[in-house]
Amino acid sequence: MRRTDRRVLRALRTIPSYMLLALVSVAFIGPIVWMVSGSLKSRNEVLRYPPTLIPEEFRWDNYAQVFELQPFDRQFLNSIVIMALVCALTLAVAIPAGYALARVRPRGAAAIFLLLLSGIFLPPESVIIPLFRFAAQLGWIDTYIPLVVFTATLFTAPVAMFVMRQAFVILPQEFEEAATLDGASRWRTMFRIFLPLVKPSIASAVVFTAWYSWNQFLEPLVYLRSRQMLTVPVALTLFEDPLAGPRWNIQMAATTLSVLPVLIVFLFAQRQIVSGLTAGGLKS
Amino acid sequence: MGSQVVASGGSGPRAQRRPGRRGPSRDAGRDRFGYLLLAPQTLGLLLIGAVAIGGMIELSFMKVNVLAGTRTFVGLDNYARILSDPDMGVILFNTFFFVGLLSVAGTIVSLGLAILLNQKLPGINVFRAAIFIPALITTVAWTLVWRFILQPQGLMDSLTATVDAGPFPWLRGGWLTLIVFAVIQLTKNVGINVMIFLAALQGVREDLIDAGRVDGAGRWTTFRHIVLPQISPAILMVFMLMVAGSFKVFELVLLLTNGGPGVQTTVLAFEIFRQAFRLNDLGYAAALSVLLFSLVLAASAIIWLSRRRLVFHETN
Repeated sequence: MRRTDRRVLRALRTIPSYMLLALVSVAFIGPIVWMVSGSLKSRNEVLRYPPTLIPEEFRWDNYAQVFELQPFDRQFLNSIVIMALVCALTLAVAIPAGYALARVRPRGAAAIFLLLLSGIFLPPESVIIPLFRFAAQLGWIDTYIPLVVFTATLFTAPVAMFVMRQAFVILPQEFEEAATLDGASRWRTMFRIFLPLVKPSIASAVVFTAWYSWNQFLEPLVYLRSRQMLTVPVALTLFEDPLAGPRWNIQMAATTLSVLPVLIVFLFAQRQIVSGLTAGGLKS
Repeated sequence: MGSQVVASGGSGPRAQRRPGRRGPSRDAGRDRFGYLLLAPQTLGLLLIGAVAIGGMIELSFMKVNVLAGTRTFVGLDNYARILSDPDMGVILFNTFFFVGLLSVAGTIVSLGLAILLNQKLPGINVFRAAIFIPALITTVAWTLVWRFILQPQGLMDSLTATVDAGPFPWLRGGWLTLIVFAVIQLTKNVGINVMIFLAALQGVREDLIDAGRVDGAGRWTTFRHIVLPQISPAILMVFMLMVAGSFKVFELVLLLTNGGPGVQTTVLAFEIFRQAFRLNDLGYAAALSVLLFSLVLAASAIIWLSRRRLVFHETN
């Protein structure tokens, strides 16, 4: 009897916590729910006042209209291709650099480390003008190239290098000595022995890099011109009717479409994504 | 993560000094291997970084005529214009307003949420995920959704009407709009900071907390003297992130108000974009870029240099 009393008391004591948590969650999830609700309303209902939460009639064709107004599938593909290329280039330079700084440590490694890390403090907005002119001189406007090359070298590789260095540095020295005794070459030691041990950190670096590239707005806005080349964030801003103002239902349908795949990926790879974004929080 | 960043930044790895282990002949090969691995990133960063920073500084001394394709050296004219531009007062005030508010409020709110989410309650993971979700969404998507919520006769107006308040001019300038921007920006990325704090809180040593409790420490004393010192590296890191991130409320300004009315809601990053890509005044925009770059650098340096005073090290 007494035991159940205590249990009830303890359960009661958690109620304020749950109420606070629920209240906070509404502030974070509410906008998402409202977005989905708006995406299913008719043009009249979306402007009705006071607004309704559940659409009286589900207008799924709002989603079809997204693709009529913009080549949204192509724009989606652009975002994904750019994201994949940024990840590939970032890893290609950052893994060897992180490995060299953590395990090979040539003379001057500490200075090189600081140099490579300095990219973290570079605000993208302040260098967009010279980079835009550089891209124009090279004929890179309206191509993926500046979005891949500039982003990877200046903004994502420094963070990825840092994450990889931290991962390599904590591995025990004995692995390397054993490999040397076995006559493994330096390349083989790196690829066969150390690389498989840092897979979780590679995942973190990929998550951060993908997120950074997927989120970019200023850069694609400046470098890209034609509708066929735009990325999702820029395309999302183009659902306004110049005469009638925003078409909110179509706008919200497009926004929902842009959000959904990320949420689905999050459901499956929650832990990797959280660790990747906190590691990369360095540049959020 | 947080503690690693602060504790290891700058200083070389532990095992660096090991004289005698490597012979001189091996050193050369080892160094060459290391430089080879470092070359792609270092050369890429140096090349593009030089183009970016060099070009920024060079352009800031130029008057560029985009249509005619000409540029003339004008010395410090662009910088003089920053000083005499009557709009700059408002723009810099807004920029610092966001830096100050977002860094302090962002750190406190994140820490509060992390403590709330650090309880061992059934279903707590659902709430953790809920707070993290806006961080997954692009800033553009999050801002557009908020624009929909804040539109005249939208959700927010109807919610305030239920308590007989409003309608408020959410996005028509003034303090209210600046606060609205801060809330949108804060809720967007607070999830990442909360996760950094959660990881730090879970690394707090239980035995110290128990020892404190035995000594009769109350909840607040335990937090202030046992938990807070141990998570101080994470606090510093989150604070630094918020400072660096808050210089660019760029996307919100562009999508919600275009900086208006007038320049009431403009921030430095948006002014750079407007001068460069809407008014084609590249030289002036480059001078503004130098200003932004220096401000971010100075803020980072100040925080970084004061870290020893702020952060508690167990080893000290």
